[in-house]
Amino acid sequence: MRLPLKTRLYYGIGRHLPFLNIRPPEVDRKSAMTLRPGRNAQLTWEKRESGETILTVPENPKAGRVTKLMARWLKVPNERHVELDEVGGYVWELCDGDHTVESIVQKTGRQYKMNRREAEVSVTMFLQMLHERNFIGFYKKVPKKSWQRNPEEEVKV
Amino acid sequence: MPVQTTKNEKRPAREEGAASETVERTVVGWQGIRFTLPPDWNVTSFSMDRDSGYLKVDSPGSGTMSAQVRWSNAAKQEQTAPTLYYFLAPYFRRLLRRPAPALPKSDLKGNLERILKETGKQAKKSKAPFESSLKPEKVEGENGERTAINFTWSGGGRGQGKIWQCAVCNRIVVAQVVGLPKDLNAIGVIASQLFASMHDHAMEGYDLWALYDLVAEVPETFRLEAQKLLSGHLSLTFGRGAEKIVIQRWGLANMALKKFTLEEWFRKEAMVNVKRLARREIETAHGHRALVFEGALPLTSRIGVLRDARNSLRRFPTRYAGGIWECPETNKLFLIQALTNRRSEGLWAEVEPRCVCH
Repeated sequence: MRLPLKTRLYYGIGRHLPFLNIRPPEVDRKSAMTLRPGRNAQLTWEKRESGETILTVPENPKAGRVTKLMARWLKVPNERHVELDEVGGYVWELCDGDHTVESIVQKTGRQYKMNRREAEVSVTMFLQMLHERNFIGFYKKVPKKSWQRNPEEEVKV
Repeated sequence: MPVQTTKNEKRPAREEGAASETVERTVVGWQGIRFTLPPDWNVTSFSMDRDSGYLKVDSPGSGTMSAQVRWSNAAKQEQTAPTLYYFLAPYFRRLLRRPAPALPKSDLKGNLERILKETGKQAKKSKAPFESSLKPEKVEGENGERTAINFTWSGGGRGQGKIWQCAVCNRIVVAQVVGLPKDLNAIGVIASQLFASMHDHAMEGYDLWALYDLVAEVPETFRLEAQKLLSGHLSLTFGRGAEKIVIQRWGLANMALKKFTLEEWFRKEAMVNVKRLARREIETAHGHRALVFEGALPLTSRIGVLRDARNSLRRFPTRYAGGIWECPETNKLFLIQALTNRRSEGLWAEVEPRCVCH
């Protein structure tokens, strides 16, 4: 999920002119654990019988003309494959936008009998790595405004 | 007797066979210090030195609360520059069979005031008013071996602690539970659990080493030489002269054993070439099938050991024993290796039942 252009420009200025003291808000651990990782829709994936998960990453559609020309000249394949092991595949499947980081940590810890801290460190590092490669994005659940709520969904007390 | 405590162990709350109510706790053991805390508390920083060091254990989640333990050797604190008398006195004392002279009592109050002054300075930086209160000195412990002072402080955060000197190990230990001002009640509860369970020296000749999921007891004469605490792999190396004990633990055993057999894993991780060593299978104290390799060290391995043990040739190891097992209950692999002198043969068998896997 990309930030609006106005916000990006604002923080961009802050990065290049540090004396202005403009910094993006720091995400604390508690709010980071409530984020919901979601898979990049451009990626396709399949699970093998042996337990590994293969991600197919297509060529960057936003690549410029020169990049495309260079890629063709250097015979860069149109897509690349990334292999995730069983635990990685398990976490990947949970990155559906519904599970929070916290619930993924809990489920992985329970599934593979990992200590809470061990599970948290491994899963968060793995999610960070996926995010750096643009395989996943993090969503924040925003509470619906009153006008967005469906009155039929509301439970009457 | 082997250690009966495990990390996050469940023990009967009141009586054996009473209700199904259980109490979970985390056992922490480091450099002879051992204590219990509520479940899921984790060691976040520690020192490698036995004479003086620190240990910090954080609460789960955002970790606003922490238990901090600092210790120092009272004997070393008193000592100034070492003299020839200092080096020779213990030998003459042993020769003449004279007991070591009793050390003078350390100034606990002075030590504590110094610590509180430092905490006060930090509170001053955060512009919070600092207050502290000290309780009178008292003698405690099973045999009255501890002289202790309880204290509390507030300013920025809040803390409840205790400083004491143990007559058995001559250590001065400061233990405190620190948290936010809102955690007042929780600090009290955790501090009482910490102080009630705290031991500052080896028990029955064994030091407890317990952090994360690794719980093991090692003879107190061994000192920690190296550690590797990674997510999924913990390794502690202990040394006594040139003798060594290495305790390792890996997570996700089911995944590791899909690619390797237990024997392949062992050969990959063994300190020496195990080709010429006797192989046997035994049942561990916790009911798992362990693969054990043992025997006299071949000449090539001895050269390697000699190279590693250049600092001390005392108790030069000539024998090797190593065993690996999988604990399906916790999905972990445990490996214990011992390089020993002929005099301490059987060390592996001594340590194995004291390594708690589940």
